[in-house]
Amino acid sequence: MADGIHPSSALTAGTDSLARYLDLLSTQQKLVTSNLANADTPGYHTKDIDFQREFMSAVRGQTPETIEPQGLYEKPDGNNVSVDRESRLLSENAIRFNLASTLVRGHLESIRNAIHEGKA
Amino acid sequence: MSLFSALQVSASGMSAQRTRAEMLVENMANAETTRTPEGGPYRRKDVVFSTDVQASPFSAVFQKELGQGVRVADVVVDDRPPEMRYMPGHPDADANGYVAFPHMNPAEEMVDLLNASRSYQSNVAAMSAVKDMLNRAIDLMR
Repeated sequence: MADGIHPSSALTAGTDSLARYLDLLSTQQKLVTSNLANADTPGYHTKDIDFQREFMSAVRGQTPETIEPQGLYEKPDGNNVSVDRESRLLSENAIRFNLASTLVRGHLESIRNAIHEGKA
Repeated sequence: MSLFSALQVSASGMSAQRTRAEMLVENMANAETTRTPEGGPYRRKDVVFSTDVQASPFSAVFQKELGQGVRVADVVVDDRPPEMRYMPGHPDADANGYVAFPHMNPAEEMVDLLNASRSYQSNVAAMSAVKDMLNRAIDLMR
């Protein structure tokens, strides 16, 4: 630590941004489930996060800011949840999460491998 | 932002839609009911949904919650005037031979019921997607 190198940086370098990615995916998934749950609630507006911005944001560990996406058709009761949009996000997020967690797993696997000196 | 509260949100959606379906079924079952404890014909009931913050006490203290669940805020009684049918032989007929029947449109109820069932399904799909993600995360520890 004295020379500015964090002792664990070599271990977590690859997983840091993946962890953040997983974190944001679960946040977005949670908003998708709440949009779906409120698909019939009068006056409810679709909620989402600005994924790109939150991912690039320098501030870590903060609750992401929710936004209301524009351009969705609003029904006469003031509700603008599009079930198609939410279903797409639901499966997209699940696949992305799947991919990212496989990558984390591979990373952990290689660290474990190094600990065991390449022996199985 | 625990994924577990997403499960809670989906569950709130499922239970709200189930309550709605129960109301619709009750309406259809009573489409021809002319006697109720309150007197007069049956009046159709409708549910009103509102958002509900799913705050488990721990996470509410720990972090700002993002997901919003849904709850049945109110059950409203339809106050449309009853439908009068001319049935002089009916025991509930008035002096002119008209019987008050609930004002109900079976098509309306069926469409609403289909909607409730589809919404329930989308909540189930959301729940199983989230469950899958949770299992993936748990797999990382193996």
